[in-house]
Amino acid sequence: MAAMRSRFSFALPLTLAVASLFIFLPFGSSAEFSFRSYSQDGKLMHSFAPYRWIVEQPEFLSHLLLSLKIALFAVIFTAILVVPSVAWLHLKAQLFRPLVELITLLPLVIPVVALSIGVQTAFPDWLQSTEYELPLMYVILALPFTFRILDNGLQAIPLKTISEAARGLGANWFATIFYVIAPVMRRAVAGAFFLTFALSLGEFTLTSLLHWDTFPTWVTSVSQQNIIGAIALSVFSLTFAFLVVFFAGLSSSRSKKRMDATE
Amino acid sequence: MKSGTLELEGISRRFGQTVALDNLNLTIGAGELVALLGPSGCGKTTALRIVAGLERSDAGTVALKGRDVTNLSAHLRNMGMVFQSYSLFPNLSAVENVEFGLKMRKVERASRRKTALELLELVGLDTQSRRFPHQLSGGQQQRVALARALAIQPEVLLLDEPLSALDAQVRTNLREEIRRLQISLGTTTLFVTHDQEEAMAISDRVGVMSNGRLEQIDIPDILYNNPASTFVANFVGTMNHIPAIASEDAVDIFGKKIRIKNPDGKIGKVSALVRPESIEVSRVQGNGQAKIVTRSFLGASSQIVCQLPDGVIIQALMPSHASGELHPGEEVNLNISIHEVLISHV
Repeated sequence: MAAMRSRFSFALPLTLAVASLFIFLPFGSSAEFSFRSYSQDGKLMHSFAPYRWIVEQPEFLSHLLLSLKIALFAVIFTAILVVPSVAWLHLKAQLFRPLVELITLLPLVIPVVALSIGVQTAFPDWLQSTEYELPLMYVILALPFTFRILDNGLQAIPLKTISEAARGLGANWFATIFYVIAPVMRRAVAGAFFLTFALSLGEFTLTSLLHWDTFPTWVTSVSQQNIIGAIALSVFSLTFAFLVVFFAGLSSSRSKKRMDATE
Repeated sequence: MKSGTLELEGISRRFGQTVALDNLNLTIGAGELVALLGPSGCGKTTALRIVAGLERSDAGTVALKGRDVTNLSAHLRNMGMVFQSYSLFPNLSAVENVEFGLKMRKVERASRRKTALELLELVGLDTQSRRFPHQLSGGQQQRVALARALAIQPEVLLLDEPLSALDAQVRTNLREEIRRLQISLGTTTLFVTHDQEEAMAISDRVGVMSNGRLEQIDIPDILYNNPASTFVANFVGTMNHIPAIASEDAVDIFGKKIRIKNPDGKIGKVSALVRPESIEVSRVQGNGQAKIVTRSFLGASSQIVCQLPDGVIIQALMPSHASGELHPGEEVNLNISIHEVLISHV
């Protein structure tokens, strides 16, 4: 028992160390590389020059804003389309849950080329090549993950029973959703939002296939002429996405803590 | 008191090919506690859900205090409900859960908090008011659910197997508490359960259901002593099935002729339904009608299990002082102490 415990307490930090190496070594190296610049005589220096270069690019802000806008739309579409669907599945159509679960895996299985063409053809004409096209596709790409986050969150809660209890206590459907369903789903919904947001901000393959020019595709084109600038851009966007998710996660866990508070 | 009568008339409901309720008629008087008892799938929960407005009926009417509420939405019916599974809102504390119905009724904050705390005190949880559902035991959660249902001063209290998920000890305590509160508040109550002991212990009347129909509804004593059908007889309490030969209106059990309560004119082999306490066991010298298998001392009474020569097991319940000399392996005679008996055909 004691031996097992000591082995266990040793295994955890080791795993963490290996995992963080896997994440931080490439990131650290990229970060180091992104600060490099060369003096007149070819000597290696570290400075903010590549980042100054980024800010000076006229395309930088426009691409970043476009990507942010698309990511925001993807989150909104997730809120409108995915969240109510999963809640409905738990409330009224438990029978179809396994089937839907299977279907949500398809974006992982189908090659992005096939997916992009298939989905685009399925869209109505008025939607094709508008700026709502990409967010909707990102919603589909994120579905294997968002569905599971929401589904797991709801598995733990008897949503049907508690919404019936709310109805019995005099809550109409609006009040039931507002006071009961939404609060208990909040954490799962937040998770689904972060994931959609992060995925949308970094998606390249599908975007490029559909000839859209967003932040990630612009970074790729920058890398053709200025590799250090491209790496600096990647480091910037990674840090940016991480900070967004981190602060959003922090505020949602704070509200969770308030919920758990006892006397 | 606010509570009123609840009347169900001709309620029917089908789910596909399955008939869940078949022309159910039931009236619950003001302040009365009526239990619907039956095996799972007998339609009792469907009946309760139709009363609550959570399920629609195919036919029939539900009336509250004489007012037809059949098509009234669940949230407008003013009925308190306690569910089988834990149904507290996980994001709200105990007191906030109890307040919920009052909040929906736009009761002012201070006043609804006061009411909620009073109700929590009534169910013995006033010290736990700020705890969240996951910090409460199963029994405590159901107490909060009960307080929550009572907070809205419901016209009818609906209890959907509220005790089945709890431990035996907690169950017994809570059911007594439900009854105590129900009597003191005078709330008309419909209680659905599959546990006959539970139903008999706290109800004014018990309705036994089978296949969507109400087989019999009466006070527990009559249900037990004078069951209307073999289904009710078998479902309520312990029942012996004694092989016997029926003539036209009487049956021969252990050499004694006893009148048949449900004669159908058939003659031949039948089972006579006899309660354990209606069988007297006495020792004989030499060969008897049965042999004692075990005797279990239960306090004031003792249970004697006998075996007939053809292998059928008979249970008898006798006062302990009268059965002290009965020991396993002994030959005994059996005497039926009732004058009328239900039979079922084998």
